[in-house]
Amino acid sequence: MTAEPRHVWIASPEPGYGEVTAKVADPILVRRVGRRWWIATALSFALVLVFIGAIVHLFNTGIGLWGVNTTVVWGFAIANYVWWIAIASGGTLISSILVLTRQEWRSSINRFAETMTVLAVAISGLYPILHLGRPQYFYWLAPYPNTMQVWPQWRSALVWDFWAITSYLLFSILFLYVSLLPDLATLRDRARSGLAQGFYGVLALGWRGSARHWQLHRRLHVTLAGLAVPLVASVHSIVGLDFAASLMPGWQESIFPPYFVFGAVFSGFAMVLLLAALTRWGLALDEMITPDHFDAMAKIILAGSIAMTCSYIAEWFAAWYSGEEAERSLLVYLFTGDYAPLYWTQLAFNCLLPQALWWRGVRRHIPAMVAISALILIGMWIERILIIWNTLSHEYAAAMWRTFHPTLWDWVFFAGSLGLFVFLYLVLLRLVPAVSMHEMRRLVHAESKPWQER
Amino acid sequence: MSARDAVTATLQAARRGLDRREALRLLAAHIALSLGACERPVERIVPYVRMPEQVVPGEPLQFATALPLAGFGRGVIVRSIDGRPVKISGNPRHPASLGSTDVFAEASVLSLYDPDRSQTILKDGAIASLDGLRTALAPRLRRMRDRGGEGVRILTGRITSPTLAGQLAALLDQHPRLIWHAYEPTDDLAAGEGAHLAFGRPVSVLPQLEQALTILTLDADPLGPGPDQIRNGRGYGVHRATANGEVSRLYAIEAAPTLTGAKADHRLALPPALIAEAAVAVARGLGADLREATLPEEARGFAAAALAALQQSRGRAIVLAGRTLPPETHALVHWINARLAAPVRVIEPVDRVGTREAASLNDLVRDLDQGAVETLVMIGCNPAYDAPGAIDIVPKLRRAAFRLHLGHYADETAAAASWHMPQSHPLESWSDIRATCGTASIVQPLIRPLYASYTAHDLLATMSGAADPSYDLVRKTWSKDKGEDFERWWTATLHDGVVADSAAPPAKVGEPALPSLPPPAEPTGPALVLRPDPAVWDGTHANNAWLQETPRPITRQVWGNALGLSMADAAALGVESGDVVRVGTGARAIDVPALVEPGHARGVASLTLGYGRIRAGAIGNGVGVDTFLLRQTGADWVFDRVTLEKVERREEVLTTQRKVSEEARVAEMFPVLTAAALAEGQGLHAASGPLPSLLPDRPADPAPTEGAPSAWAMVIDTALCIGCNACVVACQAENNVPVVGPEEVARGREMQWLRIDVYDHGTPEHPKPGFQPVPCMHCEKAPCEPVCPVAASVHDGEGLNVQVYNRCIGTRFCQANCPYKVRRFNFFGYADGQEYANLGLDPYPAQRNPEVTVRARGVMEKCTYCIQRISAARRAAARDGVATPTDAVTTACQDACPTRAIVFGDLKQEAAAVNRLKRDPRHYALLGHLGTQPRTTYLAELRNPDPKLEGNA
Repeated sequence: MTAEPRHVWIASPEPGYGEVTAKVADPILVRRVGRRWWIATALSFALVLVFIGAIVHLFNTGIGLWGVNTTVVWGFAIANYVWWIAIASGGTLISSILVLTRQEWRSSINRFAETMTVLAVAISGLYPILHLGRPQYFYWLAPYPNTMQVWPQWRSALVWDFWAITSYLLFSILFLYVSLLPDLATLRDRARSGLAQGFYGVLALGWRGSARHWQLHRRLHVTLAGLAVPLVASVHSIVGLDFAASLMPGWQESIFPPYFVFGAVFSGFAMVLLLAALTRWGLALDEMITPDHFDAMAKIILAGSIAMTCSYIAEWFAAWYSGEEAERSLLVYLFTGDYAPLYWTQLAFNCLLPQALWWRGVRRHIPAMVAISALILIGMWIERILIIWNTLSHEYAAAMWRTFHPTLWDWVFFAGSLGLFVFLYLVLLRLVPAVSMHEMRRLVHAESKPWQER
Repeated sequence: MSARDAVTATLQAARRGLDRREALRLLAAHIALSLGACERPVERIVPYVRMPEQVVPGEPLQFATALPLAGFGRGVIVRSIDGRPVKISGNPRHPASLGSTDVFAEASVLSLYDPDRSQTILKDGAIASLDGLRTALAPRLRRMRDRGGEGVRILTGRITSPTLAGQLAALLDQHPRLIWHAYEPTDDLAAGEGAHLAFGRPVSVLPQLEQALTILTLDADPLGPGPDQIRNGRGYGVHRATANGEVSRLYAIEAAPTLTGAKADHRLALPPALIAEAAVAVARGLGADLREATLPEEARGFAAAALAALQQSRGRAIVLAGRTLPPETHALVHWINARLAAPVRVIEPVDRVGTREAASLNDLVRDLDQGAVETLVMIGCNPAYDAPGAIDIVPKLRRAAFRLHLGHYADETAAAASWHMPQSHPLESWSDIRATCGTASIVQPLIRPLYASYTAHDLLATMSGAADPSYDLVRKTWSKDKGEDFERWWTATLHDGVVADSAAPPAKVGEPALPSLPPPAEPTGPALVLRPDPAVWDGTHANNAWLQETPRPITRQVWGNALGLSMADAAALGVESGDVVRVGTGARAIDVPALVEPGHARGVASLTLGYGRIRAGAIGNGVGVDTFLLRQTGADWVFDRVTLEKVERREEVLTTQRKVSEEARVAEMFPVLTAAALAEGQGLHAASGPLPSLLPDRPADPAPTEGAPSAWAMVIDTALCIGCNACVVACQAENNVPVVGPEEVARGREMQWLRIDVYDHGTPEHPKPGFQPVPCMHCEKAPCEPVCPVAASVHDGEGLNVQVYNRCIGTRFCQANCPYKVRRFNFFGYADGQEYANLGLDPYPAQRNPEVTVRARGVMEKCTYCIQRISAARRAAARDGVATPTDAVTTACQDACPTRAIVFGDLKQEAAAVNRLKRDPRHYALLGHLGTQPRTTYLAELRNPDPKLEGNA
């Protein structure tokens, strides 16, 4: 399907507001749940049950279940945490930076991207708790009045982390909800069953679509978008500081905060792209999510890849230029040590592979984009685990050098989180519109009268 | 009708089938009965009316006693809290302890509480009564008396107890045909025969290393594990600390790596046959009329250099020969030492029963074969496990109709015996024991026997028809010619832990004779040397979890033994560490994993004893490979013409650390200075004041260090550290450090707070391992503190970096950020409900030090500088209204150290030893450039290479 020249972002010759709205709302209100949805939900729910069982087992037995050891005291939990929270950034950035820069094409993808953000942040927030030796006391990171009269230790990056995750989670829920309001009202109005009317009616908070509502909504949305950019940057800087505010070779680097932000954008967009392709296929949204969307996102991914490559090179240079034996030895270890095959894979997936996106044909070829995104996500996950493994396996105390050997439970906790994500995403697809209807309508408006807005 | 009757009636009814009424009645009765069960106990608990003297609840008491190793005693002081012995430390008055301990002494307190200890008399493996045993024994004893002991044999280990020796001598006197056999699996028979050859009669020869400036060891390991390790270690250290002037020089020729070889200034690896030739070369150099030694070029140069050095420091030079060398070489070494006027003491042997020498195990086996043994009494030994494999002793033991075994465990021999009696632990018994130098100690019990167990004295008394308790027997031994003063003497001796002036007299011997030598041995294919194990010794300690998990010196192996091989031999065999190798000597062969360990002579493999136990207990069963099977006739230590072949199987060799051999790291973390450079005024020139640091100061310190009364610090002299692990086990005992078990070690989760890192500053051909004990550094700018989100890792006012266990939530960031990796995490409840094997069972918890928290699952822990001892000293000083005396606080590791390499103290006290050591030119801070300002610092390794042997330096 090719778009007409004027309709760049909507692949339909005569898009109308009603058509767009119906296209999005019908899967929720009218159409029956397909078999594909049931199969996917059942599979992911099975994983959720495994995840819950694993958590119960973990709480009963202790984190010795994992492959962590006295030297490599961190493992999958921290890597998963960093990976998920980085993915979360994709949704926020699409909605905020693209809102602020008036990239209206984002309209068809920002909703599920924001949904993804909320889920990814929530899941990432689980890991720092699961990873604790005594998870029952995780709330000691919060400054609450207590009989011990002890407050958190504010110099610790983990306390900053606690606030970063908490504020990011609250923010992304709020951001999603605010942008949902007009659509919830649309659903309320279109719903036929009383139950749905009530459900969406309550959630719509009495939205009537008055001009004042729209004006206030627009103002709040843009304000939140404005807040989102520094928030995303600070969250990922803090995640970077978890490592950088240490003494360890390979971690103690001032490039870490921006490098983590780049990494977050990079993997976040890869996940958005993956979900865009799947959602497009699942909900038959071919008209709204067009190859042009993929093209645009691919360019951002390409930029991210280049930024990552530069960061890697800066890291290597700094390690060599520091003259510090531990740093240089770690650098050699990256390329030749115990995890060298993984490191080379990471470089291939994060630096080399995205270079294919210089070609327009690749950018617009959806199966290719899905494959590249998936491999980038794997590459970024490898990067996260290697940040932990490489440094801890090869730091100052040479007599204690050890490698990490993941156990089955490590994988269960990773797979379980993927299952939880997919399950919640599928459930939300059935509850809230996957595409922002009101923004789509504006896009239709803009597309049909290109001389007015844009 | 009482409730009981009602229940009985109802239950009878129930057998016929319950109806509704009866069911309800039963329910009611049940409730009534269970309520009745909640009565208060009828006993009244009355507090002490008159407090037993000295006993204050919670206050530790100290008692002196002695513990055996291979039959020789080492004096110890045992700390007992509320009647429970919890910690063993050395007895400064005892010549074999000198205030220090070894791993075996430290760990023996755990064995006391071992639930696998034998607890009852057994008849053919089934529980039996003492009356039953008496009934069975009585006719045997009557027969023994009637027939003068015909057909009765007693088998023991080495006996140095004067009381036991007296009892045995009396028994043997009464029964002329009774035969006593002794078998000590770690005995050095060649040394005994060598002394006999040289001096014409049995004597013991004790080196005095503290007087020696030049030492040549010929496959001897004076610094290695054994009953003399502490005395030798202390002696060796005297001339290694720079403060004491001249630095001694140690030359070691050995077949496989030992602690002595590790500390040697020059080390040469040679097969045992050639080491004997090196002795010939040295003797010829001293004028012996002997044939030419057949030595390779390098060895000849080495021997010549050693000879020159020995001659130069005549009177203060000493040569030592080891277990693997033949008696002739031992005799030759005695001759050499006489020529060098070496500082050795030749004394009367201390393990004699009157004038008797014991018959051997082989004699016993021969007689068993001939059916000449009816009654066999085995006291405190385990021949079914540790007899040479070629003898295949178990079916032979069974040829004696009545086999009585007295032992700590229902072990392999108990299984082969018809009757087994549980033996009391030394901490539960009255006895006495002599050290290698003959000094006797009274062994006094710290606790009543936990089980109905017996001592060797009890058994021998029964056999001689008496029923005196051990206490009376021991007192009787020592009350001879003491008269009126005995009680005072007894109290003083018990207090001191040493019987004054009881050392063995010097033997009146002439000049040692020059032995006639056999022709030089032809090199005969691969050789195998055996060693007592540095952790489980000869297997008697195999069920001690602390020892099993103690990393063996140099290799850092835990939970098992492995075949040590040189890299060249491993390559020739095509094996790597962990590949199983079949080792055969004659008829027997065992499969054992290989461990490539530089420092083995080409063509020499090594193994240790004490593993492969099948009835050691829950801890020791099935750990490692039984190497006694390889032995042919007796306490063999070296085998020629062994066969080594690769088996297509792997068994992981568990280790806790890797040897650091990366040149840059070694240079930075383990600097080595030569005595010559030091004499010229070179040093590490580390600032003695506070190290510079870019790390920020702690904000708003609640307890500022400036005004605090103390500033604790530790200095560890790596030149003195012989890597013996006593500190590691002492720390484990003092601080309730849990054992994690082999599976968890394989996952890299050992818990010892103190580890000994090995740095190799040599080459693969000439390894030079150095030891660096690494406790917590207690950094002033501790990287672990700012990263903890809940302030569980904090600094106290006296400079201690303390871990608040009940605040810790287990983020593990502190360990991730610790450049020394000294923190330990409870991944599971290692001490808290998820113990390894049976370690959670009673009475193990009774060993725990009540002054130290037992850590829960999910909590980080680490070395505290024994904060409980600091606190005790502080309280004592406050109570007495005085300042803490200088160097009054000692840590457990410091107490244990045989060479006194660890010094702890208060920097605020100018006279403290740490302050003196911090001014030493060898002083340095580990990774000091990181700016962590560690309070634990080091003195650099010191070597004194021979200028003539620079190539081999």
